[in-house]
Amino acid sequence: MEGGLFSRLMGVVAGLVRGPGGLMTATGLAIITMFALVAIAAPWIAPYPPDVRPPGAGLLEPPSLRHPFGTNDLGYDVFSRIVWGARVVLKVVLLSSLMSMAVGVPLGLISGYYGGPLDRLLSMVMDSLYAFPGIIMAIAVASVLGPSTFNAAVALMVVYVPTYYRMTRARVLELKNEPFIEALQAMGAPGWVILVRHILPNAAPTILVVFGLASADAILTEAGLSFFGLVAVYPQPDWGLDLYYGKNYLLDGAWWLVFFPGASILLLALGFALLGEGLSERFRVRGGSYG
Amino acid sequence: MSLPRSRLVLAAVVIIILILIGVGYTLLSGQVLGGERIVVIGTTDKITELDPATSYDFFTWEVLSNVMAGLVKYDPETGRIVGDLAESWEVSEDGLVWTFKLKSNAAFPDGTPCTAFDFVRSINRVMTIQGDPSWLVTEFVESVEAPDEYTVVIRLKKPVSFFLAVLATPPYFIVHPNYPDDKAEPDATYGGCGPYRIVEFKRDEYIILEPNPYYPGEKPKNDRVIIRFYKNSEALRAALEAGEIDVAWRTLNPEDIESLRQKGFNVIEVPGNFIRYIVVKVDQPPLDNKKIRQALAAAIDRNEIAERVFKGTVEPLYSMVPSTLWSHEPVFKSMYGDGNIELAVKLLREVGISEANKLRVVLWYTPTHYGDTEAALAAVIKEQWERTGLIEVELRNAEWGTYVDLLSQGKMMLSLLGWYPDYLDPDNFLTPFLLSTANKWTGTGYVNPEVDRLLQEAQAVTDEATRERLYREVQRILAEDVPYIPLVQGKLFVVVSDRVVNLEVSPLQFLIYSSIEVSG
Amino acid sequence: MSLARYVAVRLLLVVPTVLILYTIVFIVMRVLPGDPVQAALGVHYVPPEELEELRAKLGLDKPLYVQYFEYLAGLLRGDLGESMVFQGRSVWEDIKDKFPATLELTLAAFTVSVIIGFVTGSIAAVKGGLVDRAMRVYGIIAYTMFIPWLGLMLIYIFSVELKLLPSGGRIDPRFIPRDVTGLYIVDSIITGDLRALASALEHLVLPALTLGIVLSGAYTRIVRVHLAEALRSEYSIAYRARGLRESKVLAHALRNSMVPVVTLMGLQLALLLGGAVLTETTFSWPGLGSFLVERVMYRDYTAVQGAVVVFAVIVSLTSIIVDVVYALIDPRIRY
Repeated sequence: MEGGLFSRLMGVVAGLVRGPGGLMTATGLAIITMFALVAIAAPWIAPYPPDVRPPGAGLLEPPSLRHPFGTNDLGYDVFSRIVWGARVVLKVVLLSSLMSMAVGVPLGLISGYYGGPLDRLLSMVMDSLYAFPGIIMAIAVASVLGPSTFNAAVALMVVYVPTYYRMTRARVLELKNEPFIEALQAMGAPGWVILVRHILPNAAPTILVVFGLASADAILTEAGLSFFGLVAVYPQPDWGLDLYYGKNYLLDGAWWLVFFPGASILLLALGFALLGEGLSERFRVRGGSYG
Repeated sequence: MSLPRSRLVLAAVVIIILILIGVGYTLLSGQVLGGERIVVIGTTDKITELDPATSYDFFTWEVLSNVMAGLVKYDPETGRIVGDLAESWEVSEDGLVWTFKLKSNAAFPDGTPCTAFDFVRSINRVMTIQGDPSWLVTEFVESVEAPDEYTVVIRLKKPVSFFLAVLATPPYFIVHPNYPDDKAEPDATYGGCGPYRIVEFKRDEYIILEPNPYYPGEKPKNDRVIIRFYKNSEALRAALEAGEIDVAWRTLNPEDIESLRQKGFNVIEVPGNFIRYIVVKVDQPPLDNKKIRQALAAAIDRNEIAERVFKGTVEPLYSMVPSTLWSHEPVFKSMYGDGNIELAVKLLREVGISEANKLRVVLWYTPTHYGDTEAALAAVIKEQWERTGLIEVELRNAEWGTYVDLLSQGKMMLSLLGWYPDYLDPDNFLTPFLLSTANKWTGTGYVNPEVDRLLQEAQAVTDEATRERLYREVQRILAEDVPYIPLVQGKLFVVVSDRVVNLEVSPLQFLIYSSIEVSG
Repeated sequence: MSLARYVAVRLLLVVPTVLILYTIVFIVMRVLPGDPVQAALGVHYVPPEELEELRAKLGLDKPLYVQYFEYLAGLLRGDLGESMVFQGRSVWEDIKDKFPATLELTLAAFTVSVIIGFVTGSIAAVKGGLVDRAMRVYGIIAYTMFIPWLGLMLIYIFSVELKLLPSGGRIDPRFIPRDVTGLYIVDSIITGDLRALASALEHLVLPALTLGIVLSGAYTRIVRVHLAEALRSEYSIAYRARGLRESKVLAHALRNSMVPVVTLMGLQLALLLGGAVLTETTFSWPGLGSFLVERVMYRDYTAVQGAVVVFAVIVSLTSIIVDVVYALIDPRIRY
């Protein structure tokens, strides 16, 4: 059974990779997979513990063979910190994306399908939130909750629920007028059956595309939160936070403290963005404000 | 609209901008600000409330002590209290009544004379408004009167050995008659009768000062002081390197000081009374066990902290009383030494801590108040304690607002904190922390009747030798009980460009603007 | 519906939007511990009775719903209240002080992003092939760059290594121009203060470039797609057939791809303001964004509420303006 599920999954992936936008999807998936593997295998990949000064390590050493990404002001190995830091960002972003989806999609389905005053109220709330700068809302929420990965995920959820909601709702409004849905309604099928069995599967590609694009955006917002110290507590390794503390040494020429964490953020966000782009091309779905 | 035309417009705009930059540069480089002796000071601090009745932070006090004046002040050379607006004073036998004679030639910048009535009004104002620092008045002063224009009589609630030191603080400054009697004015620029007047104040951007022609003391050595507020130390340092400021004041990052020195900037080192310490919650397990507290104190290596975290910009501190102050006794050094892992392990084993049964502690810090080194400080202390192999440290943080809230409620097991003195006396480094009726704000829960008795006795006697003996005794008990673990004592650094030829700092570490002299 | 009527309806809709955001922020800020009174006092000792008095003075002792409606009532009168941390400071004054800095930055960044977007997008659409692909990759990468990282890398190159441009701040403090609009560029031009203008411009370059580049990705993509479409369209073919020069054809096509670009401007507004927060922090730019972050940390309830309300109003009004522009340039749209 396990093997069957796995091979079916591989089949789906192969299908995605072969169609239009396949190159982007493949590159995106490859980047994400690489970071996921790094995160899982962190204890074996990282040459040193991330928050103890390795014996003999100097302070602010530039990149070398011993320390490929250099050392920071306390002598911690930057490469090890990047490796361990992948865990934090992936945890926060995946958690927040799943939570946003779990809230945004059902609300979008119900709101779009049934309409009425509830739909109007929800739309108005979601639109207000959506139009508001996400990072500001996330900072406000996260700073009230205090720094932790779960709290950061909740803060991001507040920002991304409207995205899932709006895209789902828009897709439902389109589908509602399709003949086959109207036929089902005429046959007296209950609303929730139509929603779950017929509309949801047809909306799935849209949701998948939003997942890719919104996650790319969420990585940047997460980095912003972590830049303001709202995700992890130093010396816990965390890309955005390391970048924040690293910037103090930039004027002394210690570029490696800023460059590597930022490049990691860029690469991971790029992975998700490519996945979203590739999928949107494959399914001919437009990704909202992402173009 | 056709493309070529829009291209033309674009090109024109670019060219105009380039020309303007070019012209600007020539003007910039060619023109030295002539004639006027302007000093530009940069800081990452902020002015909170420009009103001595409510402001209670280091930097605002510095600005206030440059634009206002009280009866007495510290002499920057000797560190002793001397008259400022007061010419002379005497104190009654019982130490309760102080009488001051004021100088007759002092006036506010607009020429209004500065009299004893203004002083009385200012003090009553502080007592009415009841702002944060008002306890510095209400705790000691019973009443103030002005029998005539140039005489002030202050009656105290109890004899206070260090009253003159308290009298030098901003709540005792004379404010301009425009300040309302019963309401704080956080943005008012009326000032007082100090060496400077406020010309313009733009919050978080700049404040401009010019000499007050009617100040009776020494005339400022410059014609204009501009203080410019920077968001963070990198910006402050960059501004100094770019020549935008002459004086970089609090606070540069520790590592910046060394690199600026190497780049040829003049670094002036000021011994500081700023202390850093860990607050220990003594009334809850596991830290209600004295041996565990002593083990934590023993494992701390202050030299490593000073070097690795602060790059040598601080000095190890072995008591709550800084080494720059009389009666200081390095009690933690004699009792525990530095990084004494052996002793720490021994103490921990005695109370049944082992590798299988580790001691778990939570250390709190705030990333938003003591600069970016705070996280590094916490990280290094964690490393030091974990070197015992018997302690597991969890670090937590909270932004400043939450942090002080948690502190006063005693919700933090161990927390990093700092202290600037309100007045320069050992009393101000011991009473607020150890006297059980005064230390609630630290949340430590520390009560020791013996300490209470010693401190109260020291406050009432005026004989300095007796007081010194009492304070040394208190410090010995401090090291034994460990309700606080002193870490380091700050040195302050002023980095100046080569334009600056003279600059003085008061014993309270306030920059004395009038002393700054620039060439060219 | 006439345009005027449409605008009126949209203006009315600003009210619920602002109300919703105010409510959300109010709830969020009051959920958990943290106290503006304590934050202001710091670690100085103040007796508990005095603390209670200070709280009462700020109205923090009243039930939450009373605080909610009292502030709301103030809002209706256009009163954003007083800061809870810096006693006696009017929030409106603070916001008014910071707003020009943010406006200057966002306008400059917006201009940069549109120019880069049009240039790269047009090149991609005209050249096609490999160039097109490269521009497409640029579009995605620009969007995924983390603003502080890009900013700091630019600082490293242009300030630390090349020593060409300042790394932070808005202007050299010696040259602050006389205050007219609060926009240093405009003020220095009005007062003819060239030193101030030069200083303001050189301080503006890196922040505007940073935020501009990150936002340009979306414009690159949209110009590229719509321009390519327009160049392939029947009327372009017809123009060419009539012997029109290619540059003229391109001009017409560009004009026709303006509509989606204007739509994008509206959609990008939230990103622009959000990006400004990070840009301001990176470059020590004294604007609304860094003000808001700072006050959030202080738990300055009124200041944060005030700033959020102002942001909400800006977003709503700008989106109305965008819609009007949209209607004006696209004659097909009728309300």
